[in-house]
Amino acid sequence: MNLLSLRHLTTEFYSGGRWLEAVSDVSFDLRPGEILGLVGESGCGKSTIAYSIMRLLAKNARISGGEVWLGDVNLTEANDERLQDLRGSRLSMIFQDPMTALDSLFTVGHQIIETLQEHLDLDAAAARARALELLRQVGIPAAEERLNAYPYQFSGGMSQRIALAIAISCQPQVLIADEPTTALDVTIQAQILHLIRRLMVEEGGTGVLLITHDLGVVAQVCDRVAVMYAGKIVEFGAVEAIFSDPLHPYTQALLNSLPSQGIQRGALENIRGRVPSLDDRPAGCRFHPRCAHARDICRVEAPPLVKRDGGQEVACVLYD
Amino acid sequence: MSSTTKGAGPLLRAAGLSKHFPLESGLLASLRRAEARTVKAVEAVSLDVYAGQTLAIVGESGSGKSTLGRLLLRLTQPTAGRVLYKDENIFSMKRGELRAFRRQAQIILQDPYASLNPRMRVGRIIREPLDIYREGSRAERDKRAHMLLERVGLTSGHARAYPSELSGGQRQRVGIAAALALSPEIIIADEPTSSLDVSVQAQTLNLLSELQRDFNLTYVFITHDLGVVQHFSDRVAVMYLGKIVEEAPTETLFAAPQHPYTQVLFSAIPLPDPTRRVNWDLPKGEPPSPLDPPPGCHFHPRCPKVMTACSAVEPPLKATGPARRVACLLFEDEAGLPQTKGD
Repeated sequence: MNLLSLRHLTTEFYSGGRWLEAVSDVSFDLRPGEILGLVGESGCGKSTIAYSIMRLLAKNARISGGEVWLGDVNLTEANDERLQDLRGSRLSMIFQDPMTALDSLFTVGHQIIETLQEHLDLDAAAARARALELLRQVGIPAAEERLNAYPYQFSGGMSQRIALAIAISCQPQVLIADEPTTALDVTIQAQILHLIRRLMVEEGGTGVLLITHDLGVVAQVCDRVAVMYAGKIVEFGAVEAIFSDPLHPYTQALLNSLPSQGIQRGALENIRGRVPSLDDRPAGCRFHPRCAHARDICRVEAPPLVKRDGGQEVACVLYD
Repeated sequence: MSSTTKGAGPLLRAAGLSKHFPLESGLLASLRRAEARTVKAVEAVSLDVYAGQTLAIVGESGSGKSTLGRLLLRLTQPTAGRVLYKDENIFSMKRGELRAFRRQAQIILQDPYASLNPRMRVGRIIREPLDIYREGSRAERDKRAHMLLERVGLTSGHARAYPSELSGGQRQRVGIAAALALSPEIIIADEPTSSLDVSVQAQTLNLLSELQRDFNLTYVFITHDLGVVQHFSDRVAVMYLGKIVEEAPTETLFAAPQHPYTQVLFSAIPLPDPTRRVNWDLPKGEPPSPLDPPPGCHFHPRCPKVMTACSAVEPPLKATGPARRVACLLFEDEAGLPQTKGD
């Protein structure tokens, strides 16, 4: 049973008098208790997928094709009232900047309790007790006092813990985390990722869609990973397989361009050229102008994502 | 302390360098006088930068690494201490000397979106240092700007573009070209690749390596990215709350970090290898506020190896090996010093 299923999701932005595809024909399933990584560089469409699922797209964007299923609910067809009810209860999201989710005018206690009472049948005392328990769960010291503090009184790491507390307050089935640790220091990042892993996955059986540009984070916490390039998934599979045996030339180049792993001073692998802009996507395989293995067919035919023996999926003619 | 030596003595040497920012200013604060509260952004830092090498300064937010970078270029005045450039204190330089120093010492900033004047064309941005120093004729300066553009992997066609028309990676190249215009000896790069995607980061790091080789540049690389540090630097200084806690040649440091903070920091790096998963729960607590740093060793409340003496004694930065220093009481006895009481 999948918690969340994307089927051929296509999302467009209106720009310069026409609709341009930011996300093209993306399909995947999120399972209970897993962290699924969605990884790629700026502009690959990974955050647009998150906002499409949440139905929080900006006015100049629209879902133009495909479906998003949260269990048996088709989110792409749900009305505002239904969405309002689902967001925060069955479906939650945390952002790169935790202040996105926090209101600076209210105490954090007020905000957690408000979410709890909105979705659960709790009286004031029970909601307050639950809020305290949540703050303790996410590792806020002196929870009792901190309940009455305002968001600005917290550091970035502590704010993200509070955003996480609100996100998990109603035990959602699906948590979408969009670059949740990108703005944090590495020691704080470690704490937050550990917390997500422990709270959501090991205890709750929740599925987490983790959106990140950081391949280190993917390797450390994800179970499966989708690699995106220019609006499409180019490779999908178990995290061990993707890192030990990357198939798509883009995945390979991305992993080789990382400076680390004790390889000192050699030139890092360059991916020639740059990511194409939305209005300038090449025909055929979108990676072909930058690909070292490009052939004639790559210029005309967009390769589909095909499952290979062992379960890894790749969209590249090299593996036909 | 000796260097791992390429070249002679240090090109730049900081000695007892401190920068305190007052928390309150204005009439009320000066009336109150008493003990003005300050943030000790940089506290008694001494370090050497050797010609032709790359020194990385690493640390988390609030460690003082960027303030240290600004002090090394006299972009801010120190509260105490000196920075010697070829044995000359940059803070006592007169106008003419300072002008000569400034052409030798340049900076590259993190955010190429914020650091380039949006109303200037790229050609002019790169030419501007040459204009200020009245280098050659206008035609010669334009020619050099075009040459620099090509040297950093852009084309002379980009000279007419505005920064807003370029990608983040291209803008950072413009920043690099402008920093190179006066053929400096030393470049301080403050998080030069932090806002770039990994493939663009790789291109930029490769470019910086080539330029170092071709022009024998000295780099001070301020970064929080330990992958970049390991790949790029000869030596590393690790900062925590305004102080250097450990300094060592890069390979030595990564092979065996000595300071417990360095160890915690390294263990928290998410390695891009799913078969080597780290213990995510290791680092305890948050960095304390720089307004109110803990007494003794600033790291002691988070330290897994804390001893009773750590909250009372500020450990000095002591040599523990060739070109290697660490500020931790654990290493006092190894350096042949009396062991601290209380344990």
